[in-house]
Amino acid sequence: MNDIAPAVIIIEDESQIRRFVRAALEDEGCRVHEAGTASEGLEKAGRIGPDLVILDLGLPDRDGVDVIRDLRSWSNVPVIILSARAEEDEKIAALDAGADDYLTKPFGVGELLARTRALLRRKPRSEGLSPNVAFGNVKIDFSRRTIDRDGEQVHLTPIEYRLLTTLVGNTGRVLTHRQLLKEVWGPESIQSNHYLRIYVAHLRRKLEMDPAQPRHILTETGVGYRFQA
Amino acid sequence: MTIFENRSPAARFLLAAAACAVTTAIASPLIEYLDLANIVMLFLLTVVLISARLGRGPAVMSAFLSVALFDFFFVPPRLSFTVNDAQYLLTFAVVLIIALITAHLTADLRQQAVSAFTREHRTRALYEMARELTGALTLDSASDIVHRFVKKVMSADIELFVPDEDGELQRIGAPPKKGNRYDIRLVRLAHAQGDYADLDVTPPIAYFPLKVSANTRGVMAVSRADGAVGFLADNHDLLEAVASLAAMVVERLHYVDVANTARVEMASERLRSSILSALSHDIRTPLTAMTGLADSLAVAQPALPVGQRETAEAVRDQAMRLSGLVANLLDMARLNAGHVTLRKEWQPLEEVVGSSIKLLGHSLSGHQLRVELPDDLPMLEFDAVLIERVLCNLLANASKYSVAGSAIEIAGRDAGDSVEVSVRDRGPGIRDVQRTEIFEMFVRGEKESAKPGIGLGLAICRAIVDAHRGRIWAENVGGGGACFTFSLPKGTPPRFELEESTANGSV
Repeated sequence: MNDIAPAVIIIEDESQIRRFVRAALEDEGCRVHEAGTASEGLEKAGRIGPDLVILDLGLPDRDGVDVIRDLRSWSNVPVIILSARAEEDEKIAALDAGADDYLTKPFGVGELLARTRALLRRKPRSEGLSPNVAFGNVKIDFSRRTIDRDGEQVHLTPIEYRLLTTLVGNTGRVLTHRQLLKEVWGPESIQSNHYLRIYVAHLRRKLEMDPAQPRHILTETGVGYRFQA
Repeated sequence: MTIFENRSPAARFLLAAAACAVTTAIASPLIEYLDLANIVMLFLLTVVLISARLGRGPAVMSAFLSVALFDFFFVPPRLSFTVNDAQYLLTFAVVLIIALITAHLTADLRQQAVSAFTREHRTRALYEMARELTGALTLDSASDIVHRFVKKVMSADIELFVPDEDGELQRIGAPPKKGNRYDIRLVRLAHAQGDYADLDVTPPIAYFPLKVSANTRGVMAVSRADGAVGFLADNHDLLEAVASLAAMVVERLHYVDVANTARVEMASERLRSSILSALSHDIRTPLTAMTGLADSLAVAQPALPVGQRETAEAVRDQAMRLSGLVANLLDMARLNAGHVTLRKEWQPLEEVVGSSIKLLGHSLSGHQLRVELPDDLPMLEFDAVLIERVLCNLLANASKYSVAGSAIEIAGRDAGDSVEVSVRDRGPGIRDVQRTEIFEMFVRGEKESAKPGIGLGLAICRAIVDAHRGRIWAENVGGGGACFTFSLPKGTPPRFELEESTANGSV
């Protein structure tokens, strides 16, 4: 957390949901601003310059994906979307449009706070990767391009390495299949998702203690992947 | 064409004889003024007129009759067939030959005129039928139009047969008239192999397939109540043309039908999914508020007194459970609607097993979880979200029906043309009688038990596995406990090329 209390805007039309999100985040030391509509939310975001936006996908006045595109045109603020389970496609579209993470309704306070903390902890994108990252029993030195697990060097193929860099560089964010394919194989790539899945499986075998129950390279089923340290 | 056209043969012969008699009567008073050669001309004229008007037979008869009358009434000695001057025999012969040739030629001309007229008449009728058919909106009216045409042109009756939804040929329109019995086996034969005439029945029936380009759209049966057969051969080409016109209409109506059904299905599908998503949204919103509000009470700082905190936690847990039930109901409604769109992708099984375990989280933490997935399991094509649901339901059941601390095993196994995934617990197992019925909706292993649930979980599993063309079954295993297994077909995995070089560290 920063020294100053981070500002969070919750854009959600149901006041009772706003209420508990507000209570939970205020306990966490955030300044919380509420908005019941997309236009009110965007207006407040422009005025306040928040550190995090929590956005419901089912707003009455505007399409959620549209709101994210609008927001992304002038801001890099992290965005968590709230969605119902049935709205799989919309969720993916929102993430592709630039949302960072999602919570499926109903969600608990614990989940909400964990996601919030992860995104608030993230450095602004401009600062780039820190040269050294450690998770589990793995240490990565990006400056020397070495990966070390339990003191032994791990060999990765160029694609595996690019995939790992992309995932680690976006710690705490959900990356959709499409975003990962674009990042790792390039925007022109015509590879299909199963390539991505195979390389993720390889990375897990090389880096996770139990590849069937990964603790760092996590699957967001039907959506994409998330890295957590 | 003429007023005599439709007379019976006898009447035409009588008319011809009368015409000859009238000619004789007219010529008799003229004998004083005219040469016999000119009298003969009058008879010739009569024969020509008769052949033009009454046809070949009467003309030939009148040729002979004219010669006889001429001889009897005009050639001396009159009123006798005797001929004094032998040269008249030549006259008779010439007259007879000219009369016969003329009769023949005129009758031919007449025949041609008549058949040209009939052809024109038919073509017009065919054209009119085609025009009417383009406006036909139902098979019934199409059948009527074709029937009217065939009735008018060849006095025959037709029946149309078109395949129904199951491909079974069905007769169109009102039940057939008595004595007009088609044979459905021959209808099928004609549909499969081409036109066929059944001459052993009375009346004989010909079957014409309704062909449009490469498709056969049904069969037309033709017969005449009077039992005539000849018209079938005479009108074979015409009947084929009629059949192909009818085929086009049947095809057009078929596509209209297909388009309509698709439109209706799309509309009802849209309605269903909008109702489901509205319902899902409207139920989930208050549940989200409830869960969240109760949860924020439970974790509030400073902490509530123990009793109140427990109440808050209970409210949260119940709301979560309710939300799970609603999710199950909505899922089942969606799956039951029969239009599950699978988002199938090729992927390793390991991934979905991992995400299911993570999703269930702390509800599995009381058990020892063992995962056994061979490294060489092939990739499978499935909808990850749905298969995750299957695994979650099976795992949740396993943990619900076995004591804390016992083992739950997830295992994958290559079974030839499919891969089997099983979830095994160390609970009480399933009673034999229930091994299949527990996959039915609202059937539970333990009736009225204290364990939460309404018996949808396994029904959802089966619906999802069915949609993937797999199987799901339950059995008891040695050592106690239930084992639920589902299979997913292997299919043909896509080609995959791995890059060769190992790179980091040294690059």
